[in-house]
Amino acid sequence: MARFRAPVRVEHGRHLRERGPALRALRPRRVLDLLRRVGELLETVVEPEIAGWSVLVAFTAGEGLGLNRAFLLLAEGKLLRGWFGVGPRNREEARQVWSEIRSTGAAPLVRLAEPDRSVIEAEQRRHASTLASLSHAMSTECGMWRRAFIARGNHPNPCVRHWTAVLDSRELVVVPLMASGQPWGVVLADNFVTHAPIHRSTLEAAETLAHYLRSALERTQLLQEYQRERRRRLAADHATALLETARTLAHDLKNPLAIAGGIARELLAAPPPDAETLARRLGIVAAGVSRAEQRVGELVDGLANRADGIVLEPVDVGAVAGRVVEAFRPLAISRNVRLLCYHPSRPVLAAATKTSIERCLENLVANGLQALVGACGEIHVAVREEAPWVRLEVADNGQALPGALRSDPFAGGVTTRRGGSGLGLASVRTLAEAMGGRVEYDEREPGWVRFTVVVRRWS
Amino acid sequence: MTVARVLFVDDEEGFLELYRSAFGREGYTVETAATMDEARARLARGGVDLVVLDIRLGESSGLELLREIKAADARLPVVLSTAYARYQDDFSSWLADAYIVKSSDLGELKRAVARCLETTS
Repeated sequence: MARFRAPVRVEHGRHLRERGPALRALRPRRVLDLLRRVGELLETVVEPEIAGWSVLVAFTAGEGLGLNRAFLLLAEGKLLRGWFGVGPRNREEARQVWSEIRSTGAAPLVRLAEPDRSVIEAEQRRHASTLASLSHAMSTECGMWRRAFIARGNHPNPCVRHWTAVLDSRELVVVPLMASGQPWGVVLADNFVTHAPIHRSTLEAAETLAHYLRSALERTQLLQEYQRERRRRLAADHATALLETARTLAHDLKNPLAIAGGIARELLAAPPPDAETLARRLGIVAAGVSRAEQRVGELVDGLANRADGIVLEPVDVGAVAGRVVEAFRPLAISRNVRLLCYHPSRPVLAAATKTSIERCLENLVANGLQALVGACGEIHVAVREEAPWVRLEVADNGQALPGALRSDPFAGGVTTRRGGSGLGLASVRTLAEAMGGRVEYDEREPGWVRFTVVVRRWS
Repeated sequence: MTVARVLFVDDEEGFLELYRSAFGREGYTVETAATMDEARARLARGGVDLVVLDIRLGESSGLELLREIKAADARLPVVLSTAYARYQDDFSSWLADAYIVKSSDLGELKRAVARCLETTS
């Protein structure tokens, strides 16, 4: 395999070998493998920041394109605004970072599968001032860009001249991203430390990666907008339902109490002259109190049995678990995974909905299977009663939960092989809470990860 | 001095009984209607000095009757009486001369009726 040596430069009278991320010729097969890996990764990403970070890491990682640093600018009105950056900020930082990477043998591309939000946020903060400096008003020539190119300081486009000046870049990779003939964004990258030559194959791969990024960002931004809209609608629906409930309560509870109280006051203020009127009015008082009492009872029952519009019913969780496990068994066998199910032989009734319990279990078993990809492990599904609760546990002895997920694995949005799009575990929580239950996660038993859905026992 | 004739419109017989007793003792001539149609029929005959109107009349809205009353005779005072305070946000309720939230204590309603009758006399 052909390898480039890092260029030897003379600086301040001494020879200095700058060794950035491993510089290798980008063979078509390696490029295709990189594009496949990044493409697969982006399919599961649901947050724009993670998409941006993942692609820029692919630009800069040694096993990626090997460029020293990369930046993404996005169009906002007539401005190209710096949004994300990856890589060292200066020569000293480069030495330190690359030395660490070499000594630890870290492979940034492998780590993409388990994005660490704190690292991404730190990277955003680290490059904040450079990104602010890179922001620049678009010139009309920006709309003429079609293909990626390598620019130098004397470039005719004022934007490019500005970027090369800000980055003090001798050769700057400029990858324009266009949408409907208008600039959508631009990726900038260079070898400002190593000054390694940038080959056509690198430029072409950079262009393809940047387009992956655009597509992922558009998708994740749409997804976020959809989720925001969904939350807005839910909030509006809840507000409407609350107002309607308030109206109904006012009518159904306040009225009988006001009648009973009012008549009682009247009886005190002006005792009726005859027993018949007294009896009738006392009857009204009693009826008012009874009606209020009945409505309070109905309200309490309704609140206990209804959550988010779900009407709870008795569900035999053991039977559901058995059916779902059997449905997954062929897939588990094909992956050499032992799938076991334990539940009492008698019915274990929970206040739930059958479809929600099924969906929770399907997501958790699928999550376990993902954690066991390439391993011959086990998944244990167990149903237990712990009055007044029913516990539905799914444990696997696959890979441990990534650090980013541990603090709140049900939060959603964090992507990893375990948890798929990051939405599976989040929907388990949503469904459990809608049934008036909760979710739990533990790794108490060494080597095992356990997720539990806890719902109220039917009584 | 003529005795004021007040028409109470409410679908709760308990309230109507309460109004008959409490406002009768105050010296008013109390008439009652449990439905919109009963109220319309009574109003058509004339002679009513003030209407105390519930907003939620079964499946009907007292606000509709309020609009009809004001369209027929804008000077006839109407006091809205309801269990739900936020109907005040409904523009239609602004046609009313007073807005009272129902309570077992009829003091506020009595004061509103007296004030409206005084204003129109």
